[in-house]
Amino acid sequence: MKALRFYALTALGLALFPFAIHPIGGYGGLATQILIAGIASIGFNLLLGYAGLLSYGQAMFYGVGGYVALLTVSRFFPQFPNFWLAIALAVAFVTLMAFVIGTLVVRLYGIYFALLTLAFAQMFFFIVFKWRDLTQGDDGLQGIASPPLALGPWSIDLTTSFPAFDLGPFGNLSDLHYWYAFVAIVMLAVLGFMRSLVSSQFGEILTAIRENEERSALVGFDPRRYKLAAFVIAGTLAGLSGALRGLYETSIAPDALTVETSGNFVIYTVIGGVKTLFGPLVGTGLVMYLQNVISAKTDAWRLIEGILFVAVIVFLPGGVLGTFSRKGARTVLARAVRVRPESVP
Amino acid sequence: MQGPAPLRGRPPFALPEDSTIDAILSQLPGQLLDGFVRGLVYVAIALGLTIVFGMLRLVNFAHGAFYAIGAYVGLVVAERYGLAAGLIVAPLAVALFAVVFDRVLLRFFYDKEPTAQILVTFGVALVVQESLRLYFGGTTRSFPIPAALSVPVNLGFTQYPAYRLAFAVGIVAIVLLVWLFIQYTSYGLIVRAGIRDRTMVQLLGGNVALASTIVFALGAGLAGLVGAAASPIYSVDPDTGFSFLVPSFVVVVIGGLGSFWGAVIGGLIVGELQSLTTLVLPAASDVVIYVAMALVLLVRPSGLLGESEVIRG
Repeated sequence: MKALRFYALTALGLALFPFAIHPIGGYGGLATQILIAGIASIGFNLLLGYAGLLSYGQAMFYGVGGYVALLTVSRFFPQFPNFWLAIALAVAFVTLMAFVIGTLVVRLYGIYFALLTLAFAQMFFFIVFKWRDLTQGDDGLQGIASPPLALGPWSIDLTTSFPAFDLGPFGNLSDLHYWYAFVAIVMLAVLGFMRSLVSSQFGEILTAIRENEERSALVGFDPRRYKLAAFVIAGTLAGLSGALRGLYETSIAPDALTVETSGNFVIYTVIGGVKTLFGPLVGTGLVMYLQNVISAKTDAWRLIEGILFVAVIVFLPGGVLGTFSRKGARTVLARAVRVRPESVP
Repeated sequence: MQGPAPLRGRPPFALPEDSTIDAILSQLPGQLLDGFVRGLVYVAIALGLTIVFGMLRLVNFAHGAFYAIGAYVGLVVAERYGLAAGLIVAPLAVALFAVVFDRVLLRFFYDKEPTAQILVTFGVALVVQESLRLYFGGTTRSFPIPAALSVPVNLGFTQYPAYRLAFAVGIVAIVLLVWLFIQYTSYGLIVRAGIRDRTMVQLLGGNVALASTIVFALGAGLAGLVGAAASPIYSVDPDTGFSFLVPSFVVVVIGGLGSFWGAVIGGLIVGELQSLTTLVLPAASDVVIYVAMALVLLVRPSGLLGESEVIRG
C-alpha cells in the first residue's frame, strides 16, 4: 500500500513537473534534461550518501555511456539502428567498466578514493580526447539521430510532440516531446529501485559499513563487496544517464568526461541533500533550472553556482531536502540545542 | 588544451611514423630539460599541498586556485611595474588570501570528515576560478618576459631559453629554502612535530594553531609565486588552477601525501614522464601520469616515500 502510494505520487509529480516549471521560465526540454542528469545524481548519492565514498570520477561512466550509445548507432551497427541496442550496449559496457575500476578503487578510503577515481576519470577523458578515429576527438560525435523506440509492433519517434492542448499559464501540452514521457518512466523505475535498495538489507549494511567498517567486517560482511556493488550500481546509472543524454541531444563531446562534469554530480547531490531519496533529483533540478534562468541574464552563472554550493556546505550540510524535510529539520533543531562538548578544541 | 596532429588510420597510441631512434635521441636533452622545468612547477605546487596535508590532515582542492591567483596578480603587477615586482607581490597576495580563507571558512572544517573538506575547498576553487573568469575574461593571457631573459642560452648539448633556466635555478633555491626553514627553525620544528603528532605538540605547549597558519600561508605563497613565475612559460587562463591541481594530486600521491621529498621526487617523475612520453608517444602523454598514479595507489597506497600508516578516511 505504501509502495503503491509512493509510485502514484511520484508518477503524478513527474507528470506535473514540466508544466509546474513553465510559469517560472522552465520548458519541456529542460525538464527532460533534468530527469536525465538526475539519474546519474541518484546513483552517485548511493556512493556518497549511503556508502560514504566521494567519487570524483562519475563523468567517466556518464561520458563513456554517451559515447557507446551514439557509436552503437553510427558506427557499430549503422545498418541496424536500434534504440534498445544502443542503451543496452552502453549500460553493459559501463557496468563492466565500473566493475573492473571498482575492484581496484574500493580498496582505498576518503581522499585516496576521491583522488583515484579522479585519476581514472582523467585517463578516460584523455583516451576519448585523443582517440580521434573513434571519437572525433575535440569535435565529439555530432548529429546522430536517435533511432525510434521499438515497442512490440510499434515504433515510436521520441522527438514527436504531444498533441496541442492549451494549459493557460502552464504552457501547452505540445511543448513536451515523447522523450519526456519515456525519461519520466525510466526515472520512476530508478527511484523505485533506489527506494527498495536503500531500505533493503543491502542498504542497511552499506550504512553500517560507512559508520564503522571494522565492526561490519567483524560481524561478517565483507566491506569491499558491498562498496563494490554500490560503485557498480552508481556507475551503471551514470552510464544509463549518459546514454540517454547522448541519444536525446544527438551529440556528445569530450566535455562530458571532464572533472567539471564529475564535479557537477557532486554539486547537484550535495545541494539537493545526500542520504535522501529525492534530494539528488531536487538538487539536479534546482541547479540546472537556476543555470538556465541565470545564465540567460548574466555571465556570472558559474560563480553564483560556486557560492551557492559553498553556502549549502557551510549552512545546510544536509542539503536543501535534508534540511527542510520534517526529519531533517528535527535533526538540525536537535543539533542546535544540544551542547556539544566535542566542539571545544 | 591542444591535441597533437590527428592520427588517422592508425591505432591511437601507435608510435609516430617518422620517429626513428636518431630523431628521438636528438630531441632528448631538450625534452629532459622541459620535463625538469615542468616537474619543478609540480614540485612547488605539490610541496604546499603536502605540508598542509601533513600539518592539517587536509586535502586542499583550492590549492590550484592559489596558483591561478598568483598568476593573475603577477600578470597585472608585472605589466605595470615589471616582472620582479610581480614575483614579489604575487606570493604575498596569495598568502594573505590563504590566511583569510583559512580563518574565515576552512578552520570550521578542520575536524570534519575528509569528504566535507574536499567539498568546501572544491567549492572555493570554483568560486575563485569563476571570479577570475569574470574579471579577466576567459581568454588565454601571456606574460611579458624581460628582454634580457628571452634569449636562448647555449648549454653545449642544446640551446635552452634563458628564462626557463633562471626559473629552474630559482625554484630549486626556493625548495631548498623551504626545506631549511622546516628543518632548522623553531617553527619548522613545530611543523615537523605537528606532522607526527599534533595533539602531543599542543600538550607540550607548542603553538600548533600559529604554525598551521604559517604552513598554510607558506604553501599558498609558494603556489602563488610559482604561478607568477611559471606563467611566462605556460600561459594563463581561468582554468589554469584545475589544470595544474590535478597533476599535482598525482605528484603527491606518487610521492606520498605529507612527505616533503616525496613531493620533490614525485614532481620530477611526473614532469619527466609527461615530457618523455610526448617524445615517443605523444597521444599518451596526458594519460601516462594517471596510469602511474593508479599503479602507485594500488601497489603502494602510501606513495613512494609516504609513511606506511594504515590509510583510513
